[in-house]
Amino acid sequence: MAFINGNNAAASVKIIILGIIVVSLFTLPFWAPESVVMIFLLIMLYMSLGQMWNLLAGYAGLVSLGQQIFIGLGGYSLAVITEVYHLNFLLAIFVGGVVSGVFALIISLPIFKMKGIYFAISTWVIAEALALYFLNWSFVGYGVGFNIRTTYEMSTSFLYYLSLVLGLGSVLLVYIIMRTKRGLALMAMRDNELAAEVMGIELYKTKLVIFLISAFITGMTGAVLYLNISFIQPYAAFSIDWTVAAVVIVIIGGIGTMEGPIIGAVVYVILKQFLYDFPGISMIILGVIAILIILIAPKGIMGMLHGKFGWELLSPRRSVKNVRQVIHPDCA
Amino acid sequence: MEVLLQLVLNGILLGGLYAMIGLGMSLIFGIMGIINLAHGDLMIVSTYMSMVLAMQFSGNVFIALLITVIVMMIIGFLVQTFLVNKVVDKGSEPPLLITFGLSIILQNVLMLIFGADAKAIPTQIASENIVTTPWFSISAIYLINFLVSIVVILSLHFIMKKTYFGRAIRATSSDVVASELVGVNTKRIYAYTMCLAMATASIAGLLIGMTFTYSPTTGTQYLIFAFGVVVIGGMGNLVGTLLGGIILGLSQMLGSYFFGTAYQLFSGYIVLLVILTFRPQGLFAEARK
Repeated sequence: MAFINGNNAAASVKIIILGIIVVSLFTLPFWAPESVVMIFLLIMLYMSLGQMWNLLAGYAGLVSLGQQIFIGLGGYSLAVITEVYHLNFLLAIFVGGVVSGVFALIISLPIFKMKGIYFAISTWVIAEALALYFLNWSFVGYGVGFNIRTTYEMSTSFLYYLSLVLGLGSVLLVYIIMRTKRGLALMAMRDNELAAEVMGIELYKTKLVIFLISAFITGMTGAVLYLNISFIQPYAAFSIDWTVAAVVIVIIGGIGTMEGPIIGAVVYVILKQFLYDFPGISMIILGVIAILIILIAPKGIMGMLHGKFGWELLSPRRSVKNVRQVIHPDCA
Repeated sequence: MEVLLQLVLNGILLGGLYAMIGLGMSLIFGIMGIINLAHGDLMIVSTYMSMVLAMQFSGNVFIALLITVIVMMIIGFLVQTFLVNKVVDKGSEPPLLITFGLSIILQNVLMLIFGADAKAIPTQIASENIVTTPWFSISAIYLINFLVSIVVILSLHFIMKKTYFGRAIRATSSDVVASELVGVNTKRIYAYTMCLAMATASIAGLLIGMTFTYSPTTGTQYLIFAFGVVVIGGMGNLVGTLLGGIILGLSQMLGSYFFGTAYQLFSGYIVLLVILTFRPQGLFAEARK
C-alpha cells in the first residue's frame, strides 16, 4: 500500500510514528489523567472543525466565514432531539449532520453564484441571520436556550472516544477524498479554475459535494461539542468565534495541508488552556499569532516544513512513480 | 399609515448614517480591491475613543472628534503600511485573513479595557425632535446624521475629482502598474486611502455612539451594514453608496413594520443576501473593465 511517499526507510519510519500516535490515542483514558483526556477531547473536535474548513478553503478554494452555521445547527439538533423528543443522542448527532447538510444544500443555491469575498461574507451574514432567527424562535426556547441533560450521565472517557472517532475520522475522510479523482480535481480547481474547467472538471458539482461533506461533518462536530458544553443558546452557538477557531487553527498549522489542522488544533487548545483564566487575552494572542504567521510564514508550520525540508507526514499526492505510470505508461 | 410614513422617513435618515459607515469600506474596496473585515471594529474603536475623550473634555464632542479623527488616521496609516500593504498583492486570502485577525484582536482588546456592557455617548440632542407634526416627527440626531453624511460624501466626491490626491487615488485603482510608471507611490496611496477611510469611520463612529448603544462586539453588525451598503450601492460609486445606505435603512424599517421589531436586523440581512444573489455587482455599479 503506497500511501506514504518516500523511499522505504523513511516510509517505514512514518508508518511507525503514525502507528504509535494512533495506538496511544486509542488507549489514552487508561493511562492519562482526566484533565489530559479532556484536552485531547477538545483537540480532536477542533481538529475536525479545522479539517473541514481546510477542505473548503485550502483545497476547494472556498473561504467560508460561516462554519458556525453548522456548529449551531448541529448543536441545536442535539438539544432538540434529546430534550424535546427524548431520543437517543447518537441519532441526534447524526441528525445534526443531516440537518447541516440539507441547510448547506439550500443555501448553496444562492451563495454558489458568488465569488470569493462575496461568498465569504454571505456565509457570515447567513450565520448572523440564523442567530437572530433562533433568538426569536419559541421552539428552541428563544434566547434562553437548552440544558442538554443526556450528558450528565456520560463519562469523560466516553465523550473522548466520541470525539476521537470524529477527529480521526475527519482526517481519514480528507485523506481519502484527496486521494480520489475528486481530490485531484479539487487541487486543480484551487490552482486554476479556468484551466481545470477546460480539462473537463465540473466545478459546480465538485464544489457542492465538498461543501455538503464539510457541512455534514461540521454539523456532527457541533453536536458533539455541545454534548460537552451541555448548554446551548443562540449567540454562542452561531458565534463567529467558531470560524475564528477554525481559521486560526488552519493558518497556524498550514493551509492546504492535512497535518496543518492537526498541529493547529493542538496549539489552539493548549494555548486556550493556559490562558483559561484570561479569556480575552487568549483570543488576542491567537489573533496576533495568526497575523504574524500570515506575514512571516503564510503557509503555516507544515507549509514551512514542506517548503524548506520537503517533509510531509500525510500527502495528498500519490507518489511520483505512480503518477508517472498513470499518465505516461511508457515512462519508467 | 402614520407609522409607515414615520418608518420610511427614519429609514431614509438612517440610510444616510449607514452610507457613511459604508463609505470607508467602499473606498478601500474600490481602490485596493480588498474587504477590510476590521472596518466595523475600527469604527467602534473610534466610538470608544470619542466617548473617553468627550468625557475628558466635559462633553465637548467636537474636540473629541477632532482628536479621534487624527488618532484613527494615524492608526489607519500604520495598519496599512505595516500589515495590509505587505499582503495586498498576494492574492485575495491573506488580506482577508489579516483583517480578520485584526478584527478579533480589536474586539477582545476593547472587551478587556471597557468590558462587555453596552455604552452610549450621552448628548442632549439625541432624544430631541426637531420637527414634530401630527403625521411624523424627525428626530434631531437622525437628521444630523443624514446631513453630516451628505456633507462627507460630497466632500469626498470633491476630493476625488478635483485634487491631485484624488486623481492619484483614482489612477491607482485604475491601473497600478501605469500609476507607478508615472511616479505615483501606490503603497503610500493605499495608506492615505486608509487614512481617509478611517477619517470617515471616525465621524460615523461618533454619530453611531450618539444614536445607538454599542459594545465591543457591535463592530460585526456594522461591518455587515457597511458591506451591505457597498454591495447594494455598487463598489466605488460614492452616490451609489448613499443610495445603498438608504435602501438598507428602508429594508430594516419596513422589515420591522411587517415582521416585528425583533426582525429589524434580520430583514436587512435577507435583503442583502437577495441582492448578492441576483446582482452582486450592486444596483448602481459603474461599468468596470
